Amino acid sequence: MRKLLLIFLILTLATSCVKNNGPSSKKKFTIAVIPKGTTHEFWKSIHAGSNKAAQELTAQGTAIEVIWKGPLREDDREQQIQVVEGFAAQGVSGIVLAPLDNRALVRPVDDAQRAGVPTVIIDSGLESNDIVSFVATDNRKGGTLAADRMGQLLNGKGKVLVLRYAEGSASTTEREEGFLSQIKQKFPGIELVSTDQYAGATRDTAKRASENLLNRFSDVVQGIFTPNESSTAGMLLALQDIGKAGKISFVGFDASQTFIDALNADQLHGIVVQNPFNMGYLGVRTMVDSLMGKPVEKKIDTGVMLVTKDNMSSPEVQALLHPPLDQYLK
Amino acid sequence: MQEWLNRLGPLLGLLLVIGVFSLLMDTPARFLSPNNLRIVLSQTVIVAIGAIGMTMIIISGGIDLAVGSTIALTGVITALGINDGLAPSVALLSGILVGGLVGLVNGLVITRLRVVPFIATLGMLGVARGVAKWMANEQTVNMRGTWLNELLVMFPNPPWLLVAPGVWITIVLAILAAVVLRNTVFGRRVFALGSNEAAARACGIATDRLKIWIYALAGLLFGLAGVMQMSRLRQGDPTVAAGSELDIIAAVVIGGGSLNGGEGSILGSMIGALIMAFLRNGCQQVGWPNYIQEIIIGAIIVIAVAIDRWRSAHA
Repeated sequence: MRKLLLIFLILTLATSCVKNNGPSSKKKFTIAVIPKGTTHEFWKSIHAGSNKAAQELTAQGTAIEVIWKGPLREDDREQQIQVVEGFAAQGVSGIVLAPLDNRALVRPVDDAQRAGVPTVIIDSGLESNDIVSFVATDNRKGGTLAADRMGQLLNGKGKVLVLRYAEGSASTTEREEGFLSQIKQKFPGIELVSTDQYAGATRDTAKRASENLLNRFSDVVQGIFTPNESSTAGMLLALQDIGKAGKISFVGFDASQTFIDALNADQLHGIVVQNPFNMGYLGVRTMVDSLMGKPVEKKIDTGVMLVTKDNMSSPEVQALLHPPLDQYLK
Repeated sequence: MQEWLNRLGPLLGLLLVIGVFSLLMDTPARFLSPNNLRIVLSQTVIVAIGAIGMTMIIISGGIDLAVGSTIALTGVITALGINDGLAPSVALLSGILVGGLVGLVNGLVITRLRVVPFIATLGMLGVARGVAKWMANEQTVNMRGTWLNELLVMFPNPPWLLVAPGVWITIVLAILAAVVLRNTVFGRRVFALGSNEAAARACGIATDRLKIWIYALAGLLFGLAGVMQMSRLRQGDPTVAAGSELDIIAAVVIGGGSLNGGEGSILGSMIGALIMAFLRNGCQQVGWPNYIQEIIIGAIIVIAVAIDRWRSAHA
């Protein structure tokens, strides 16, 4: 009798497994990837990386569809909240989100979780415990790398200006703090003359802020640090306009063709480069792993490195600077 | 005498702003240096060109909320034109004309469909922004370098220009517009339309056609402002200038324009634009946080209008 029961149990389990497996291997996971904005080259790489993950997984037999949708402006929290809410209501399998704000996006993410849509956070932190994993650059380390480069450029003494990115953006704040604390600890000979001004969300606001600051400080400072693509681009334009590009040691963050040209022209003396392609890739992979019931790490580092004119042509850096966008974006 | 006082009001405000910041600054020489003046003038150009068009619209009793979107759209169009191999001058012209087209549509919606300007242009704010994003394929449009990129540089080439070519263009346009508004039949009709539309119509002015002209003409200026914005960024950015319509309206209002129509001057609006640019520039160099700038600019708009009302009540 007991044997019969056991056989019966095993049989039902087996059939239920078959039942579950059958549809789930054919089932399609829809992953919504929500960037902070779509206009920076940085986000294109994330997009390409997530497409790569989707193609790989689909080739392995798990059909994945990636939906790419973000707010067009990088500082429109309200619009991003609506995008998250929209996907949660639509019932996608999971969300991969780069939150514009570490608090404003907590409620929609928690709501989505409650509605059965889990979220992987990429790029920038979110103060929520309801997330699957946090897949991002170690931003503090990035800031530290920039500070080391600055110290090396200035031989440990001089005056340095930091133009911050925007209020409430966790990733850039960590870079700024990493930079500042490393400068203070390791290079006591370097004086920080201005660290409390913000570039704002776009190239335009960054250029305006840079012009105003440079008018005051361009004869005083020997070094400048900016913590992301738009602030670096705005500062570079402002420096070029007043003919100071190349005369002040300038360390920026993120990569774009403009920055690579500026590195070659000695107008930019170092950029800390993240690996957005890997971030998009690991973001989607982690989400799918979690959906398939595999255990995932709570925090995943996607890597960061300092790029200068000297190491620029190494294959490692080339792969970072020129991710195969065309191959994965159509 | 009274008229001169009215003219001087905004100018005194500007001098006050510059004076106060010079006192607050630990390096006033730098704040008052020609280089800083160049920076502020270049930063003012976009708002100033927009304010020339907006002044005409506001004097006529209308409003245009779609300026920021028009700037983004025309900047994108110009950048795309350059990428498509158009000569820079042709790309420039196409940017300006698209601005004029947007204004023409505004004028037609307002007069033919009888939609009030606030709503008509509120609609256009969304439409133009959306079209800009669509044309730009939701990306910024990077283009090759042309002389258009030199319109707003700090150190112009040739150096005897002293300030960026865009600044000179703005000054010439401002003078032209001031003369047109004060000394031509068209200008007098704009004032008449804004003072009392019914009376203007009774006097035989074709008010509908006049409105269409005003919005289209202002649109051309907004198109030029869009080209300037593109020149500053060296790319067409479909997300740029959101909210700049409010800066432009504020410049006109600080300069003595009345949203009831019939009042306003180009000179005043130019000074209003300069006041706001100097405020931003000064706050940043003194090291004040952004929120202080926002509070101050907000307060100044209200104070400027309050003083204006008080003065006209005691005139």
